[in-house]
Amino acid sequence: MEYIYDIIRGWATAGYLPSIFEHTFMVRGLLAAIIIGPLLGAMGTVVVTKKLSFFTQTIGNAAMSGVAIGLLFGEPIEGTYAGLYGFCLIVALLMTFVKNRSRLSNDTIIGVVLAQVLGVGIILMIVVTSQFNVHQVEGILFGSLITLNDMDLITLSIASLVVGIIFAFNFNKVMLGGFNPILAKARGLSPVFLEYVFVCLMTIIVVASLKLIGALLVLVLVVVPAAGAQNIVSNLRQFVWVSVLFSTISTTFGLLLSGFLPIPSGAVIVLVSSVLFYGSLLLKPLFSKGGLSQGEV
Amino acid sequence: MVESGRGNLLEIRDLSLTLGGNRILSDVNIDVKPGHIHALIGPNGAGKTTLIRSIMGGMPHKGTIRFFFGDNGRIGYVPQLLEFDHSVPITVFDFLYLMLRKFPLFLGRRKPMREQILKILSVTECEHLIDRGVGYLSGGEFRRVLLAQALVPKPELLLLDEPASNVDEVGARHFEKMLVQLKQDHGHSILLVSHDMQTILRIADRVTAINRTVTYDGPPENLSLSDMMTNVSSS
Repeated sequence: MEYIYDIIRGWATAGYLPSIFEHTFMVRGLLAAIIIGPLLGAMGTVVVTKKLSFFTQTIGNAAMSGVAIGLLFGEPIEGTYAGLYGFCLIVALLMTFVKNRSRLSNDTIIGVVLAQVLGVGIILMIVVTSQFNVHQVEGILFGSLITLNDMDLITLSIASLVVGIIFAFNFNKVMLGGFNPILAKARGLSPVFLEYVFVCLMTIIVVASLKLIGALLVLVLVVVPAAGAQNIVSNLRQFVWVSVLFSTISTTFGLLLSGFLPIPSGAVIVLVSSVLFYGSLLLKPLFSKGGLSQGEV
Repeated sequence: MVESGRGNLLEIRDLSLTLGGNRILSDVNIDVKPGHIHALIGPNGAGKTTLIRSIMGGMPHKGTIRFFFGDNGRIGYVPQLLEFDHSVPITVFDFLYLMLRKFPLFLGRRKPMREQILKILSVTECEHLIDRGVGYLSGGEFRRVLLAQALVPKPELLLLDEPASNVDEVGARHFEKMLVQLKQDHGHSILLVSHDMQTILRIADRVTAINRTVTYDGPPENLSLSDMMTNVSSS
């Protein structure tokens, strides 16, 4: 890892990058942003199509409980991986199970779980640490580059590679299942199984990106680039690539800007992402001429 | 395995289905012959769509549903209503690509696939719709696209759930002509749910009327007026 850090730090020393990138924690942040940005953008297109935006938020909120559970089982505060991934995956699978087994609508199920997991997390955190440590909570909610370590970056890289490959080669099936489950079923696919696969992939990536973006803000990076892309694209291929572009610009430029401003990286990433969204909205009339052909309806 | 089905393509025997304590279908027996247009009629709530879903394998039921075609045979399905988010930027090309190819759409080459999809769409005379957003198609246009997708790869049985709903008179007649062509020119076997008695009398080889159980099964010309009235009055 040090070899890669040295190269990027060297670019900062030579003046190709802002001098803030002479600090290792900023270099780690930049690498995390470059890895996670494109994947969140691509997966965001399915999240928007399947209307899973607040599902993502719930997973982010569940992270608080995950960290507390990890601490409870003796994991170190800087790397509560088993607690985080384990609890968030359980919450994701449970919500999907309830959705497929009950008549409750998706947003009702999410509404029930969304705040509960955050509240339970704060209570557990106080029980485990015997005090309310606002910095720990802040780090999870808004992201904390300072606490992003080598292990996080390695975990994030491996998770992104595995999730990226599985996602790409199941994209057609997952998108068809999200677009219309009846037709997917008629093609011999199992939309319910595909949904379980997708929520697991999504959970892994959301958890992997928490230290960079934060639990409260991760929703924005999953949804906003895809929503911005939707404003100006005319087909599914463009939808994915423009969303990837918006998301990558948001994470990398957001991180560059956060180097100059005393604001958490997640908040600046969200700001850049929002600028792109409103920009695409303003440009929508230009693109709609060549966009989806509306023809005679 | 191909089994002898006394010349049937599909055999439904003693099919019963209960949902939430309510008996939806009871002792349904139907034979569908190859190369036939077989119409399924019945009033609203008679269990037609449930029966279609059972044939598709999506409903737990008692009794047997047996297909007499090879393991690789498939059912082409055109659903009654397709609910989807109209804001998702999916064109007709994308829609067919997602169904026909495993290689990720956003990585694949468009040109060779485009020609293949144009050919598929030409069967139902809608190749001009290839770049149109699916959310912007009229009811009739979308039905033709759905029919085109159901024909690839060639199915042993085509299941059409009320293909003329939300389609104007001209569109419905055009669709009807297409079904006859598919039967005569391509040898397709079709099981069709419909409320349109005129169409059924014109094109169906056999009719099964159901109202939770089979109330008539035979040629369309022998349908009683009361069976027709029950069907038409509730459509």
